[in-house]
Amino acid sequence: MKAEYINSFYKAAKDVFQLMVDIEPQRGELKLVENLCNNKDANIELGVVGDLKGKILFSFPKDMTLEMVKILSGMEMDKIDNFASSALGEMANIIGGNALTLLSQYNYTCDIVPPQIYIGEYKPNSIGNDKALQLPLLTPIGEFDITILLKENK
Amino acid sequence: MMWKEKYKIGVDLIDQQHEELFRRVSEFTRIIRSEENWDARIDKVKETMAFMKDYVVDHFNEEEAYQAKINYPELEAHKKAHASFKEGIENYVKIFEEEGFNEDRIQEFGGKLMTWLIMHVAGMDQKIGEYVKSKGGQIQ
Repeated sequence: MKAEYINSFYKAAKDVFQLMVDIEPQRGELKLVENLCNNKDANIELGVVGDLKGKILFSFPKDMTLEMVKILSGMEMDKIDNFASSALGEMANIIGGNALTLLSQYNYTCDIVPPQIYIGEYKPNSIGNDKALQLPLLTPIGEFDITILLKENK
Repeated sequence: MMWKEKYKIGVDLIDQQHEELFRRVSEFTRIIRSEENWDARIDKVKETMAFMKDYVVDHFNEEEAYQAKINYPELEAHKKAHASFKEGIENYVKIFEEEGFNEDRIQEFGGKLMTWLIMHVAGMDQKIGEYVKSKGGQIQ
């Protein structure tokens, strides 16, 4: 998988986090993982269609999710309810949309399929041999992952 | 949901409207997050929804008129973003008309509305202020 995929998602995530919650995520060590899976508490799956085809998974720990929604809303949160999961899903959606805009500079024209939100461990609904790249992002309020599984469809 | 000084773009009319939008969405969030019985809050939720729908449209129209007046080069992209924001609100208004004011759906809408507003004002609208500054200052 190409470096521009990872770099576009990292830059989009960094910019959106800085704008919305005043936090600059730092890149952790990139890992190759089997398929899309993650055992963090809140997972948002975005589908990608067009010149690139596949899925992106954003995975957040519970405490980090609650802290982010607290920063956004100015209100204490004690569980990941509809309000919190919807806000988190929309942030991931915005990051994904911005990343695809950045990828269009490399002549990839793609669209996003609206986010699916999973509270609890995420397991792929199909067993495949696909390898995905997992980018951990470190912040003062916790560590989250963006897992990228994209294939060229040109 | 906190209004921050850094969200100001330096154009008084737009800044005042943004601040009012933040105040209203913040109030809406407070109501839907309150522990009080849902039936006791529903009228306030309906009232805020009606206000938001009209105020957002008026604000976007005025912001677009201002951008046209200053020959803002990203007007068309900005209009598209406004259209998509309005469409997002209208979709939920339709859902509420069809399904009633279901609390789970209102919570879902509240989470999205808060995120859309912060992202739009803290992100895209800041570029209007940068353009105005690049042209030598405030154009009212």
